[in-house]
Amino acid sequence: MAAIGLLAAETGDREELAALLGELGHSVDGSGRLAEALEFARERRPRAFVVVDGGGADAETLTRELSRVFPLLPIVAALKTRDATRAVALMRAGAVEVVAPPWTREDLRACVSKGLRSPGTALSPVRLAPRRRSPVWYALAVGAFLAAAIGAASLKRVRANAAALAARVDSWTLPVSHPAGLAFDGTDVWVVDWFSQSLYQESRVDPRVLTVRHLTAETPVAAAFAQDAVWTVSADGTIVRRMRDSKLTPLQRYAKAAPNCAGLAFDGLYLWTLDEHARTLSKRLLDADLTVVSKSRVPGLSPNALVWDGSALWTLDSGDRVLRRHDLADPSRIVAVLSLPEYADGFYVPKGLAWDGERFWTVAERRDGSGPARLTRHRDEGSAR
Amino acid sequence: MRRTPAPLPVLLRFSPAAARQDGWGRLVSLTSGGAELSTAVRLVVGETLFLSFELAGDRFEAVLARVAHAEDDADGHRLAELRFTDEAERRRLAKALTDLLAR
Repeated sequence: MAAIGLLAAETGDREELAALLGELGHSVDGSGRLAEALEFARERRPRAFVVVDGGGADAETLTRELSRVFPLLPIVAALKTRDATRAVALMRAGAVEVVAPPWTREDLRACVSKGLRSPGTALSPVRLAPRRRSPVWYALAVGAFLAAAIGAASLKRVRANAAALAARVDSWTLPVSHPAGLAFDGTDVWVVDWFSQSLYQESRVDPRVLTVRHLTAETPVAAAFAQDAVWTVSADGTIVRRMRDSKLTPLQRYAKAAPNCAGLAFDGLYLWTLDEHARTLSKRLLDADLTVVSKSRVPGLSPNALVWDGSALWTLDSGDRVLRRHDLADPSRIVAVLSLPEYADGFYVPKGLAWDGERFWTVAERRDGSGPARLTRHRDEGSAR
Repeated sequence: MRRTPAPLPVLLRFSPAAARQDGWGRLVSLTSGGAELSTAVRLVVGETLFLSFELAGDRFEAVLARVAHAEDDADGHRLAELRFTDEAERRRLAKALTDLLAR
């Protein structure tokens, strides 16, 4: 049984408190004076002391004296008159708890229990995380965590899907075997086939041919779409400006203006032609003679197609199997090179190049000339452009 | 973080409008922004009170605080989480705590 010391000047207080503490299961020894209390403490080594304030006794002095002799002994002060200031003073003197009148078993139990295990105050200059939260807070915290986790996972999935989509390459087999050029009209791609002397409008989502335009009087090798016209060039170097109608009605012919021309591009102001034999790029005015204002040497093994992507000129090199971006101020200078791994096996030779606003397209014929041509939509190069 | 050898006693006062008796308690923890208080006074969430205590020789009188959380502990006492709402007192308390913990 836990021994509790009791120091009260008045007999009535001692009896009352002894009875209450006894009901709580403590063995109590009451003292009327400090000397008796100290003697008891030395002999019995009590777990705690209850000191009554009032009735002729100054609990502050008694507490100080008991604490001085037994510094580790918890002391609970019991007030005979409720006085908060006095209670705080007693606690400063060394009492770990103060019981207010009227004394009850519950109050005594709580104070003695607290007194027996009273750690000091934890001090910190910054606010510590609260130890108690409402269930709503925890529910919100868990919800926020789950939402963040799901959001992060979704974002990762979206990015992975976008990366997979950007890396995707699509190829279609064409109903033609001798493509020479490729062009984009803003909606669909057009395959120029010199053997059948036709332009094939191809769907961008499947191998379907939407329309065919036969150019019976010429052998087209390249084409380029402008805002209000279509430019074609034939094998003999004749450039034709056409209406963007269903028949591609010729508007103006420039006879043999660009011999050996393999590529054609219109940048909105000038018409560019690629001479695959001389490996030169010609910049032309849209005058009566398509006057060449500048001519630049094109590096590479076998440049044979040309495209304007809205901001730069690109050439396709079927020998090196690369795309080259040219500096507009000096087209002989290359500012970027993109490889075409789709042609690494050498079975197909790329012949035409187009840009649909997002990706490059190429058309290729089989190296041995037997078999259908292939149309390829390349991966999204993104910032590589 | 450091712990005092004995719990800091604190005097609790209420505004006259509350018509409540003064009380006392002890601080379980103390920071510049608030404190945890163990007391027999029945504190409720949302009410305001004034705390007076002494910290390493510095007296803090009538520090305004608001009860952010309160519950009964195993002994039947009230364990309350308090927030100090007076910015000047918070700064003064931060300085006192920093000085004390730097010793």
